[in-house]
Amino acid sequence: MRSIAVIAVTGKGGTGKTIFASMLILHLCRKGSLLAVDADPDSNLPEALGVEEVEKTLGDVKEVFQHTRDEIRGDKSIWFEAKVFEVINELEDFDLLVMGRPEGEGCYCYTNNLLRGILRKFMKHYDFVVVDCEAGLEHFSRKTIDKADCVVVVSDTSKKGLKTAERISELMENLGINARKAIVGNKITDAKAEEMIENFASRAGFEFLGALPYDNMVVENEMAGKSVRDLPECEFKRNFKEVLKKFESWCLS
Amino acid sequence: MVERKKLEIPEGVKVKVSQGEGCDFPVDISPMHEGERIRKGDMYVELAGPKQPGFELVMALPEDQVEDMKVTLVGKDLDELEEGKAHPFAMIYYVAGDKIDSDLEPIIERRNHDFQNYIEGVMHLNQRYDIWIRIGKNAVEKGLKSLITIAKAVMLLFKNEMPFIEKIEAVYITDRDFVEKTLKEVAMPIFEERDARVEALHDEDVEEFYSCTLCQSFAPPDVCIITPDRPSLCGAITWFDGRAAARVDPEGPNKPVPKGEILDPIGGEYSGVNEFAKTESGGVTERIKLHSFLECPHPSCGCFEVIGFYMPEVDGIGWVHRGFPEPAPNGLTFSTMAGQTGGGKQVVGFLGIGMSYFRSKKFIQADGGWYRVVWMPKELKQKVINYIPEDMRDKIATEEDAKSMEELIEFLKRVDHPVVKGVVRPVDGKKITEGWAEEEEEEEEKVEAETEEVQEAQPPLQPQMPQMTIPMPVPFQQMPQIPFTMQSGPKIKLILKNATINIDKIIIKKKDEERKENNRTE
Repeated sequence: MRSIAVIAVTGKGGTGKTIFASMLILHLCRKGSLLAVDADPDSNLPEALGVEEVEKTLGDVKEVFQHTRDEIRGDKSIWFEAKVFEVINELEDFDLLVMGRPEGEGCYCYTNNLLRGILRKFMKHYDFVVVDCEAGLEHFSRKTIDKADCVVVVSDTSKKGLKTAERISELMENLGINARKAIVGNKITDAKAEEMIENFASRAGFEFLGALPYDNMVVENEMAGKSVRDLPECEFKRNFKEVLKKFESWCLS
Repeated sequence: MVERKKLEIPEGVKVKVSQGEGCDFPVDISPMHEGERIRKGDMYVELAGPKQPGFELVMALPEDQVEDMKVTLVGKDLDELEEGKAHPFAMIYYVAGDKIDSDLEPIIERRNHDFQNYIEGVMHLNQRYDIWIRIGKNAVEKGLKSLITIAKAVMLLFKNEMPFIEKIEAVYITDRDFVEKTLKEVAMPIFEERDARVEALHDEDVEEFYSCTLCQSFAPPDVCIITPDRPSLCGAITWFDGRAAARVDPEGPNKPVPKGEILDPIGGEYSGVNEFAKTESGGVTERIKLHSFLECPHPSCGCFEVIGFYMPEVDGIGWVHRGFPEPAPNGLTFSTMAGQTGGGKQVVGFLGIGMSYFRSKKFIQADGGWYRVVWMPKELKQKVINYIPEDMRDKIATEEDAKSMEELIEFLKRVDHPVVKGVVRPVDGKKITEGWAEEEEEEEEKVEAETEEVQEAQPPLQPQMPQMTIPMPVPFQQMPQIPFTMQSGPKIKLILKNATINIDKIIIKKKDEERKENNRTE
């Protein structure tokens, strides 16, 4: 059996967590089989990873199941599992699952319960699962993804960014998510800001993975709608390598 | 019943036969391979799936017809199929054993999915005619060269995990014509027969029901009882789903509920269900009548697709589904009623159900079934129209016929709905309601005799009617309706009788005084 690591990347919107997640994905997928999960409807993980079009999301399948389950003959869980397998995007070096739109009206207890079993069985076959999720950790709170090994919070130096990190920490405790947590600074302009995050980390029980700079190259790349694969050599990339080293010794040891 | 017999293998097609248990397995076989995805790039071939025809089928045969552990492969074998492509594929298993009959076929067939997935490098998805298999390059490299090896492994797993299977034989097909022909002529009729059998299964045909406690996370005392005649009220889980889930995870949210003794065959009360409900709900629910609306109704978690509401004014039941935003004739919307009813409690007068319960032959049979139903939104009525007895189809009002209680009363009188003269429940022919026709007539006489004061009071009130029923905040919505309907004459008194017991005394004393009292309460 493979030893897998489920890594959730989260943080306040606009802190650059999707860039961080996609860089992490592109790095880890060279080391083993990887499933990338886009669990933030507001983010653009597929785009950042250079995936042009995602035809169907898990949310679509859930809706179809929700509305046609009455007509499904035979075993519904087997049917549902097949549909989940159908919406997984097979890319050259990793697989991508897009959670997609939020749930509609009605009761999703049964749907989510089936989904939990399917994803649990399915995810354990990957070396790495990287989940880009919003700060509410929705899919973990619904337990559709029922475990995480590491949670990485991406934060800028804004008060709100750190506040979000604190809230995520509380949420993890409330939800009983027994994962190690780390924080990485992004859009950091000076040493003082870096120190601020580092202090916060030691105070709040986070591993500090380092600081990434505010880099125009990143902004331009993003504005052009380009994948992080196209990001040229820059300060951000150089610092990312340092962060990655720390991440690996922390998470994968 | 469709006749079960062995397939006739066509002449001129390549056939490979293997007998006996002896077989080397070059790949690992274990449940830990379940859920493994064989990615497109790692795939040697795809069998059946979205692009090619295919199916899987288990047939029960008499023991003397099954040659144990024999495999017949019709068409090309794995190492002859073009790599990287999708091919037609069918798997047929003949099974025999003392305990095996055609009822067990789907249960055995379902396990093919699990066992195929146990094999390293084999991915099996879906069921029946939707199967989708991928065989990985890794497995072929390890020496998996023949589909017969897969069949042998699966057959051994079947016999190991389902010991009641005494003999098993397999026919695997990759020949396109034969896959298509067998699907059409043999498999489809059997699948259709099975579906018909599912529809025909009733509470009395089974030994146990299944529970569902998935919703206890937000409706802690909730316990849903799922029976062949009563699917879960979220509409998601049928008795068959419950059974499948209970087999996979007996300690999970769907547990078997032994029926026990039948206490009320019409209401659907069972000692086993009562005991189970009492324990699982922590004593909140002590008795459940599965097919009753007004007595010990099934508890409602809040997940229901449709809510039923009793309207004392007409002694009938209305239904409204989640998607209908307007208030029902009782002045309440789905969400308001759902808010009052949810949480896993039994609320007499309201009942949450799944859409498919409308299909049930036992649909609220204790309370007259469809003959007690007076109102439902048009959209909902259209969805279930085929399950409404023909003589009732025109007698159930929709929002087009009646938006308010007054309009509903008028409609029901006009179509001569059973509630007007009294409902005779079809299940045992018993007359269960008195009807309101007589009172109606009496009151009409009274109206004629009534003072002009009251009649004059009517016209200014009528225009206010729609306003009152729509924008009023919920807590007031029910209340004003009572004095208000009192004003409009004959219908008033029906409400009085059901709603205010104290006034009954006054009626007996003096009719004139009663009217004065009414005017005063206004």
